[in-house]
Amino acid sequence: MPMHFIFSSEVELLFDFWRVHSPAGMAVSVLVVLLLAVLYESIKVGKVKLFHWSLHSHPPNDNQQLMECMDQESTSSGSAQANSDRTRLLLSHLGQSLLHVVQVVIGYFVMLAVMSYNTWIFLGVILGLAIGYYLAYPLLSVG
Amino acid sequence: MSLEHHHGMSHLGSNSTMPPHHHSSPTASHSHGGGGDMMMMPMTFYFGYKNVELLFSGLVINTPGEMAGAFVAIFLLAMFYEGLKIARESLLRKSQVSIRYNSMPVPGPNGTILMETHKTVGQQMLSFPHLLQTVLHIFQVVISYFLMLIFMTYNGYLCIAVAAGAGTGYFLFSWKKAVVVDITEHCH
Repeated sequence: MPMHFIFSSEVELLFDFWRVHSPAGMAVSVLVVLLLAVLYESIKVGKVKLFHWSLHSHPPNDNQQLMECMDQESTSSGSAQANSDRTRLLLSHLGQSLLHVVQVVIGYFVMLAVMSYNTWIFLGVILGLAIGYYLAYPLLSVG
Repeated sequence: MSLEHHHGMSHLGSNSTMPPHHHSSPTASHSHGGGGDMMMMPMTFYFGYKNVELLFSGLVINTPGEMAGAFVAIFLLAMFYEGLKIARESLLRKSQVSIRYNSMPVPGPNGTILMETHKTVGQQMLSFPHLLQTVLHIFQVVISYFLMLIFMTYNGYLCIAVAAGAGTGYFLFSWKKAVVVDITEHCH
């Protein structure tokens, strides 16, 4: 295993079947790794969007919300609105946890790809993370 | 460099007369064949439980029982890591001592000038909360590197343990955080 960055059109990445020996195969590998990195950044934004979805579940109606907040032990916990809020919260949190697992796995895959010490792959990862950040983070302030 | 050192250590543990680069012991990491290279360290994912070295020189997995034990331990480690992250965040929120507000003029729509207020929270450098945060940060960094090294063994079972532990830990600990933030959001 190399311990310094090398330029090469041969690489073996992650799985037994992922072996490339030619510049064309290397280009495809770099593209796949780039898309993986874009997906990683998008998932981070996706988790936050899911969280926001669970918060702003119903159109703001200040009186009703204020009464629900002040009225915590009484019947508001049985109302349909509070139940759907709780369901929304649970669903969003479940979705966020699943997204978190995917994010952890993809993060480790990207790390292992960089560990191949192939310079093209490394550049692909960096470019992918940059493109992913550029495309995904403005979506945080939308909606 | 650290990987070379690791190879050296593992060879010393198994057979001290063998030179470091000679591939002597059967490696289950290539039990399904692999390519022409027979390096000690696998570079592709595999499922196996024989001769799996884990982090430290004395820690070798050879039986399914040991693999199950390692799976549980790594699962708990990944869960603990997620919990530590959440705990540090909540400790940080609780220990905010200074809040600074500064207002600055910002051009708004239609040529008007709006006042935008920035709120900065900080801690004193030599306070106990900050020292505790630093210690916990080091702890977190070390654990995250351990998890990375575990994932680097390329063993399928151990990698699944890391991912599942992270997911479960996130679900259990971040749930509490989500509920807290939700209530404050609604009642303001």
